[in-house]
Amino acid sequence: MKLLRDIGLLYKRSFTEEMRNGLWVIVGISTPLLYLFLFTPLLKKLAGGPGFPSGSALDVFLPGILAFLAFGSGFSAGYTTIFEIQEGTTERLRVTPVSRLALMMSPILSNIVWLYIFIIVLVAAAIPFGFNLHLGGMLVSLVLLALIMTMTSAFSNSIAFVTKDVSSMSAVLNGLNLPIMLLSGVLLPLSLGPAWMRVLAYFDPLYYVVEADRKLATGSILNGTVGLAFLVLIPLTALVLWWATRVYRKAVA
Amino acid sequence: MSVITAKKLTKVFSKKVRAVDGIDLEIAAGEIFGFLGPNGAGKTTTLRMLATLLPIDSGEATIAGFNVQKQPHEVCKRLGYVGQMGGADHLATGREDLLLQGKLYGMNAAKAAERAQELVAALDLADFIDRRISTYSGGQKRRMHVALGIMHRPDVLFLDEPTSGLDPQNRANLWEQIRKLRETGTTIFLTTHYLEEADVLADRIAIMDYGKIVAEGTSKELKQQISGDSIVISFKTDGANLERATNLLKQQTYVREASIESEQVRLYVKDGAAVLPDIIRLLDGENLAAKTIALSEPTLDDVFLRKTGRSLRDTEATKNNGERK
Repeated sequence: MKLLRDIGLLYKRSFTEEMRNGLWVIVGISTPLLYLFLFTPLLKKLAGGPGFPSGSALDVFLPGILAFLAFGSGFSAGYTTIFEIQEGTTERLRVTPVSRLALMMSPILSNIVWLYIFIIVLVAAAIPFGFNLHLGGMLVSLVLLALIMTMTSAFSNSIAFVTKDVSSMSAVLNGLNLPIMLLSGVLLPLSLGPAWMRVLAYFDPLYYVVEADRKLATGSILNGTVGLAFLVLIPLTALVLWWATRVYRKAVA
Repeated sequence: MSVITAKKLTKVFSKKVRAVDGIDLEIAAGEIFGFLGPNGAGKTTTLRMLATLLPIDSGEATIAGFNVQKQPHEVCKRLGYVGQMGGADHLATGREDLLLQGKLYGMNAAKAAERAQELVAALDLADFIDRRISTYSGGQKRRMHVALGIMHRPDVLFLDEPTSGLDPQNRANLWEQIRKLRETGTTIFLTTHYLEEADVLADRIAIMDYGKIVAEGTSKELKQQISGDSIVISFKTDGANLERATNLLKQQTYVREASIESEQVRLYVKDGAAVLPDIIRLLDGENLAAKTIALSEPTLDDVFLRKTGRSLRDTEATKNNGERK
């Protein structure tokens, strides 16, 4: 089928470009590794204490890092898009008979594959330090992470098309990035915070992913937290994709 | 047969800027058509509307017989578009990028490889085609962009400022390649703000300014509208002399037009070489000593000046001040 062939061609293009951009790969993998090795030790004494579910510090913290990685790399997808708009690549691809859907989805697909590669590296690095891998839970969490990444990539790319300039785009993305991250409880459990913060967290999609990921990391799959995360993420991702498609069709690149 | 047509093509930005203001075009098969005008005249906007990249606000256009708005997919297949930036993948090698381009147009791997090899020969890409595009020089990159644009053998090729930023040697080289393309039957529609480029390369030229086509024809036809040679005189003393000299020259029967233009007097006369001695005598007799006198046959810049009241060269000099968008 033509659409699948187009997606395949463009996916391969995105994936290869990113692989050849060695710096991007190094930064992409080293940031979460740094969190893992420079932040987890600080949690050692807190693990098992108030606000923390049972398990080692890594068991609590690594699932959060994975959620943060999916969210963060999705959110930065717009930088590639801006670059391609400015280099005329978007224009070049848009005058070919390739469908807009393929143009929009292929880089996201490539991002997800890269995310999975990074996750494998991170998990492999964490196991010797005491991370307990529950395979079933991890597989479900990969689906959840792909969802949030699709949503944030589509959002970030749309912001790129709307602003068409790096500084305005990064202002918007950075402005959203910090509150979303802090309110998600990625770094420290929100149960340590005041009530108003916990209320605000309910408006943060990343919060649901982090909570569900932590549950999944314990091996518990069929539970309300995980269900809720999918219940929030699926319609939200659909909504963002709908909006992104509109922006993408109308965009003048 | 017209391969590209446009009727009352219009693009309005932000509800008031008429970037393209009702232009008509008829471009014949196998023609090199040049769109000449300063930056911001609306050339690129026109090209992008014709290439399905930008919605047409009003009016109609066809490419190779297909309606741009109603059959964009058919138009895409028959159209090659080389934008100002080119859009090559810097981290890919030239050959990889050509193969991708061919496949995106539906070729299988074997056909794409064959066509890529054809282009390597036709556009002299052999020296660098298997290197990453990020290592190419400006001229090499531009040839690469053209190769991408014609990979699928389009009927019509759009080139947006094809030689912008190239040195004279690379520019002449690319002109040669573009002429060769025309010989294979491709219709070429290019925009340029270089007078020489339009003059030397294009079979027909449309001069565009503020979204409108102000003149159209072959280079020769356009220059004939000027009817005569231009003479530019500068004086040893300044100020009032210019006024006096202009008025005096205007009274001469052989002067068709005289005007002051940036501290000089510009005349249009029928036979410049024949009247030059008369002019010198006349000015000397009135104690208006000329410092320099330049005689030239009409150029496209004279045409532009006549039609718009500005010189294209002056417009270019101010193009980076952001006064025109």
